[in-house]
Amino acid sequence: MAETTDVWRGTLALMILKTLETLGPLHGYGVARRIEQTSGGRLSVHYGTIYPALLKLEQEGYIASDWGVSENNRKARFYRLTRAGRRQLARESQEWALTTDILSRFLGAERT
Amino acid sequence: MRRARGWLARAIAPFGGGRTDSEIDEELRSHIELHVVDNIRAGMTPDDAHREAWMALGGLERTKDEYRDQRGFPVIDSLIRDVRHAIRLLLKSPGFSLTAIAILGLGIGANAAIFSVVNAVVLRPLPFPDPSRIMRVWHTPPREQFSGMATFSVSPANYLDWRAQNTAFERLAIYGFRPANLTGRGEPDALRAGAVSGEFFEVLGARALLGRTLGPGDDERDRSHVVVLGEAVWKSRFGGDFGIVGRTIQLNSEPYTVVGVLPQRLKFPAFADMWLPLVWTAEQRAVRGNHNYLVIGRLHPDVDVRRAQAEMTTISQRLERLYPADDKGWGAVVLPLHEDMVSNVRWGLLVLLGAVGCVLLIACANLANLLLARVLGRARELAIRSAVGAGRGRIIQQLLVESTVLALAGGVVGFLAASWTTGLIVESFGRSLPRAAEVALDGRVLAFTCAIAIATGIVAGVAPAWRMTQGDAGEALKQGMGRGGSHAGERRVRNVLVTTEVALALMLLVAAGLLIRTLSQLRAVDPGIDPRNVVTMTVMLPRATYPERSDFVRFFDRAVARVRAVPGVHAASGIDSLPLAGGGSMQPVAIDGEPARPLSEQPEVAVREILAGYPGAVGMRILDGRDLGEGDREGRARVAIVSASMARRFWPNQRAIGKRLTLGLISNDMREVVGVVSDVKINGLNETESQMVYVPATQVPTPRMSLVVRSTVPTEAITASVVAALHAVDAELPVVDIHTMDEVIGESIAQQRFAMRLLTAFAALALLLAAVGIYGVLSYTVRQRVQEIGIRMALGAARLDVVRLIVVEGLKPTLAGLGIGLLGAAALGRVLSTLVFGVTPRDAATFAAVSGVVIVVGLLSCLLPAYRATRVDPLQALRTE
Repeated sequence: MAETTDVWRGTLALMILKTLETLGPLHGYGVARRIEQTSGGRLSVHYGTIYPALLKLEQEGYIASDWGVSENNRKARFYRLTRAGRRQLARESQEWALTTDILSRFLGAERT
Repeated sequence: MRRARGWLARAIAPFGGGRTDSEIDEELRSHIELHVVDNIRAGMTPDDAHREAWMALGGLERTKDEYRDQRGFPVIDSLIRDVRHAIRLLLKSPGFSLTAIAILGLGIGANAAIFSVVNAVVLRPLPFPDPSRIMRVWHTPPREQFSGMATFSVSPANYLDWRAQNTAFERLAIYGFRPANLTGRGEPDALRAGAVSGEFFEVLGARALLGRTLGPGDDERDRSHVVVLGEAVWKSRFGGDFGIVGRTIQLNSEPYTVVGVLPQRLKFPAFADMWLPLVWTAEQRAVRGNHNYLVIGRLHPDVDVRRAQAEMTTISQRLERLYPADDKGWGAVVLPLHEDMVSNVRWGLLVLLGAVGCVLLIACANLANLLLARVLGRARELAIRSAVGAGRGRIIQQLLVESTVLALAGGVVGFLAASWTTGLIVESFGRSLPRAAEVALDGRVLAFTCAIAIATGIVAGVAPAWRMTQGDAGEALKQGMGRGGSHAGERRVRNVLVTTEVALALMLLVAAGLLIRTLSQLRAVDPGIDPRNVVTMTVMLPRATYPERSDFVRFFDRAVARVRAVPGVHAASGIDSLPLAGGGSMQPVAIDGEPARPLSEQPEVAVREILAGYPGAVGMRILDGRDLGEGDREGRARVAIVSASMARRFWPNQRAIGKRLTLGLISNDMREVVGVVSDVKINGLNETESQMVYVPATQVPTPRMSLVVRSTVPTEAITASVVAALHAVDAELPVVDIHTMDEVIGESIAQQRFAMRLLTAFAALALLLAAVGIYGVLSYTVRQRVQEIGIRMALGAARLDVVRLIVVEGLKPTLAGLGIGLLGAAALGRVLSTLVFGVTPRDAATFAAVSGVVIVVGLLSCLLPAYRATRVDPLQALRTE
């Protein structure tokens, strides 16, 4: 199980934004499920941790939420990306790509 | 930016706009439902599906907590929860809450009221630009002639030299008092003006509300008939007319053009209703030996007080060498104006602040005791909270929040109480309080009130909170409701609190007792006159209608004759300056037969100008020789009468009658002493002796006289007819300061009386609070020891034994507090010595009386709890457990 470190928090926020971009408006359970599936089961955390993260993103204005009805007809809170969220996602993905690129080169160079 | 937005959202979350608890519940419930449905679809049994969903979520309660923590700031959230909880609890026990709030309201209110005065008078800078640069410059008089006087007013010629020679001051201004009779508008109106030099308003940096202030050039002879009105006079006498500037008004029967209006808050000096230019003739400018003016100055920005002082000292020494006849021994002292203004009251205010501080400490101790009893009653609740995982910090926080909520409520009550008592306090200070007009409940007082309320809450809450977290939670749970904690430890805390209260109250009582004794000592002082059935009033003859000195004499002759004819008037006369009214002239005197000395080296005595019959009218005794009579006139032999201590000082063991003296400031002619009268207190009832010379106003005419009228009937009955008699002589003449002589004497001890009243009130408050404290502790003790008392009674203890048990219990901390308080009061003696007269600050009688009062009050506070203890039913008590 991954620890709730700062790295994890940062990546969780990014994963939430990406999920909402890919799938459109979605409830918390759906987001958590999707993240677990996409990670191929390698990332297994308590679903509960998704909710403070969602609320934080909402407080920062990257996502918004409303009550809606789920695919199997249950009341649920749906989250969707805002414009600021889209911009943030683009920026963060770029930064993340850059970071991983540098890090993998660095780690690769160390190895040789 | 985004992060800031997040913080903002969290900060305002408690006030709505964020997720509610029920929304969070609902969202998580729907999460589990969705998960369960998925699980069932994947083939699990409903039970397994549920369990798995819960496990995957990571526990519902924990998730909710984390969710809520993100919603706001956890600390604020829990604080708000605690505040709500505290308010609910306090509403549930209104008796306790109201008692606590009343106690705190009294304590905090007294502090807020006194602080608002201290704030306005001492703390707040003067309302002028760069006020720290404004200085007062005084003369320091030669010590031999003016023992006990640190400062003295300034003579014109010395001021002019100071102004010309100094480099420390940007501007140096001089001003004096000038009566201003406002006429031509119906009833004549006696107002007071400041006669100010051209630099005066530049020194202050004061701007006019309307028009302009006075400036350089206004004090030139041909342009000097201009006046700046004070805002109060402008409003009350001219209806706040905005067209006032440029209009001409009649002052002292001369036309003056109004050039401006000065706002009330910039009113300086305090006596001034308006400001006129100070104009000197060449003759007046040369006066060096007569000190009648006040000097203020504005320092250059880079000059400090010490440098200014050094320079003024150098200049003074130069002047001493140049003009030894007038200036020998006369120095100069530079003081910040603010400090100079408040120096008289600062000490008294600090004593009062100390007194209300004590009251607040007592209130604090009382609240601590109340909370302690309450918290111990809630031991079980708190133990349960701690058992279900509330940390020690959380419980302490909760208790502190409770006491702070109480204290803040007390603060609100106190602030309201202060808002209507400050007016009373300022009023009872009378004229002795500088800057009284500025006293108000401003933001600073509000902040101070809040701060002391919060501090009170925390201080009072600490003891119970600390006590509460000492015990073992399990222990508390095992014990019954209301029986938590170890008795001995907790009783010790309570006894310490009560001891403190009693000690503080006792110290205040001693201070109050000493002031009460002081006042009765002052009242017992023989003022040297008989104030019964004497009324006084003052008239000032305007120069325009009474230009010559002979006009003064003629007016007072006619006026006194008219007044004496009023039915019921027994005697009437006049004096230039009433005894004990403040003011009056000190002048150098030369005794015939002693070696001649320059004026500056001659001893100074009080000189009064009187009309014929003054000793009889005011009730002085003529010890030797004769009174001044109608025959002592201009052109006849120059005469004087002297006071007994004057005669003793200058002609010891001789008869003073027939001796001769010279009052150099009046004229160089000798006057013969024709009578000796009894001593009169002139500056204060605490004065030891008064060396005085009385000269006939017919030989030294003065335009300003206070009439003294003794009647055979109560003074109220004749005052109106006396004023009518004066107006029959001159209908335009304002008659002011109409007081009975008793009132004049009373006013002279107003400050002591005021200090005594306030301190007595605070001491009584302190004693009351201490009594409540003793009572509270004992009632609680009785409740705690019901079983023990029951057993004792079952074993045959008499009611009296039970009473003794409780009273002893109550007297222990009382006596301990008494002892500590007496020691403290004895140590405070030095502080109080400035306030007392006629008693030592360690007056045994006062200490004994106060101790008696404390013991009696202590016993009284024991009575009700003791009575309750005797009503304990042994069977009932034993069955309680």
